[in-house]
Amino acid sequence: MARAVCKAMDSPLDNVLEHHRILVCAGSGGVGKTTTAAAVALRAAQRGQRTIVMTIDPAKRLADALGVSAIGDEPVEVRLPRTARGTLAAMMLDQKGAWDRLVERHAPSDEIRQRILNNRFYQHLSQSFAGSQEYMAIEQLRALHESGQYDLIVVDTPPTRHALDFLEAPQRLADFLDRNIVRWFVKPYFSASWATVRLVNRTVGFLFRRLEEATGVSALAEVSEFFTAMAGLFENFEPRVRRVYELLRAPDTGFLLVTSSEEQVLQEAEFFLQQIHRLGVHLRAIVVNRVHREFLVREKAPSRQAVIRIMRKLGADPNLAEALAENFELYQALGRGDVLRLEAFQRLVPAETAVVLVPNLATDIHSLQGLELLHAHLFASDLDAAA
Amino acid sequence: MESENPVPFIDRRLWIVVGKGGVGKTTLSVLLGIWAAAQGKRALIAEVDGAGRAAWLLGLQPAPVGEAKLAQPNLAVMSVEGSAALAEYLRLILPVRRLLDVVFASRIYQYFVAAAPGLKELMTVGKIWYEAEKTDPTTGERAWDLVIMDAPATGHSLQYLGMPKAAHEVFRAGLVGRESQRLMDLLTDARKTAVHLVTTAEEMPVNESFEMYDRLRNELSMPLGYLVVNRLHRRRFDRTKLAELRQRSSGMSERERDLAAAVLDRALEEEGWSAIHAENLQRLSERIPLPRLELPFIFAEEFGPSHLQTLLRAMDAQIVRGPRRLQSHGFPVG
Repeated sequence: MARAVCKAMDSPLDNVLEHHRILVCAGSGGVGKTTTAAAVALRAAQRGQRTIVMTIDPAKRLADALGVSAIGDEPVEVRLPRTARGTLAAMMLDQKGAWDRLVERHAPSDEIRQRILNNRFYQHLSQSFAGSQEYMAIEQLRALHESGQYDLIVVDTPPTRHALDFLEAPQRLADFLDRNIVRWFVKPYFSASWATVRLVNRTVGFLFRRLEEATGVSALAEVSEFFTAMAGLFENFEPRVRRVYELLRAPDTGFLLVTSSEEQVLQEAEFFLQQIHRLGVHLRAIVVNRVHREFLVREKAPSRQAVIRIMRKLGADPNLAEALAENFELYQALGRGDVLRLEAFQRLVPAETAVVLVPNLATDIHSLQGLELLHAHLFASDLDAAA
Repeated sequence: MESENPVPFIDRRLWIVVGKGGVGKTTLSVLLGIWAAAQGKRALIAEVDGAGRAAWLLGLQPAPVGEAKLAQPNLAVMSVEGSAALAEYLRLILPVRRLLDVVFASRIYQYFVAAAPGLKELMTVGKIWYEAEKTDPTTGERAWDLVIMDAPATGHSLQYLGMPKAAHEVFRAGLVGRESQRLMDLLTDARKTAVHLVTTAEEMPVNESFEMYDRLRNELSMPLGYLVVNRLHRRRFDRTKLAELRQRSSGMSERERDLAAAVLDRALEEEGWSAIHAENLQRLSERIPLPRLELPFIFAEEFGPSHLQTLLRAMDAQIVRGPRRLQSHGFPVG
């Protein structure tokens, strides 16, 4: 297992990369999470780690960011410059495929397997039920981890509004598939009459029958068929989910929260910070993208006249000087807002969590070269910062 | 044929605002609502993702789910949530209302909903349309002239909008079958519906809007309205000139040089974004032939309700350049 040499001048984020086997990039959608995950994975690979970046989102974002045309459910090697000391692969979670494979392993016959794949309840559970995708992603993560083929696995999570969804989803799924309830759907305990399902009383049973008639949804039969066929799998679902959380809480699994400095997004990040405690996972770093800085001279913002004067001194004509000054003032306003919001935010961040601020780079990042531009900011060492 | 006399957007009863997360959908939904109300329409904005941001932008406390809250005499906001919409709907059709609460609270109900995929999304769209069609029992008038649906972020939007079609394929018979047919008809009717696509002028959002445009047109056959490009930077600077100025600053004192550098950096930053945005606007023109609204980036310490007026003026200038422009925007389906 090739490890990068730990230099005294390593940036905080470099240290995080070296000391973890798994790094989960969490955060709301639209903040540059995928780009950050790709940049971080590239850095680890350049510094000598066998790295893989895994995405759950089916959109082409990660492929775009890495400059490859497509990423499938098999790891794709990303060609790196010769100076790179490690390797980088990329892959996408195939949610449906993973669930279908589970069915294959547990269905008692080919015929039943086919019926399950066509079962509406199964289709919903495997494709759109909340938590199902996240659960499979973590199972896939576990497989990658156990293969021993990678020094670092970087996980790009789906762009949901709530950064916590990724963490809470598997437990929700487990609650839903509670073995005590599931048991009642399994034959021979179950028979085709609502009234005999012990969980409901007679009147409620009658209502469910009416519900089914009215909507055309014959829920009970579908659910029963599914659970009966998959009894082997769901009897033991709770321990599976427990193992999944153990992996997420392991000391060498780190979380990286990606956010921007916009009010809405920071609120979500704050909520994440407060809740993450309860979930027992380790938040190692926070990356704030698109940060605007405020320029001050002796603690004060320069006046418009001062700016115009300087620009005229450099030879700018009056119109240009005016435009430059106006533009500067507008960006200063953005900077003031960011400073205020980030100050409040940073008060909530534990001392041992690294916070990295990335400026508002005016480049679209969709190639390895683009990602490398990010590195200067993501991986600035303390010495760089002091310069 | 429909394309002969398309219904102008302003006269369509359901507007759906779609786009990637973070591009300003909710802001646009609110702007459209304010603008429509100013034209004399009674407008209802329906939020689906539970954030209550539309209510906040209009200076309102969040309303309980399913209730319309008035922001202005002709403009209201409502939060619509799938499970609540489903429950409300089922209450209307099942006889024993009191006991329904027991049903909804039961674990089994969760399985029922899980066995009927898309039911919640279907009910969300259904609820929104129900509000649009609702009439006052005494006057017989419709409560709203226009309902604006602030759709959830891209992937989910398509799930929501595709749900009636999917549901109809699965539930051919029964109530759900009939409901989904009605909703499908509504959503594909160019006389009643317009889908407005929102994006920013950056690479990934633009790529996603291409995808969305294709799927809305080809898979879902939905009638499209405006393409709205939000948060545009426009100011241009000559890079060579900026470099010259920077060169000359080397003769200054350190403090002056630092300030000059900061000013020139910000100019480069703006120029960089403006160039990217111009390029992406071009890509959008080539791929998405919809009438376009372009809204400027707002340079503020904090974006909030006070900035809506600036955006509203920009929007208004582009929409009402003349009645003929509106007329030509009744694009047919397909």
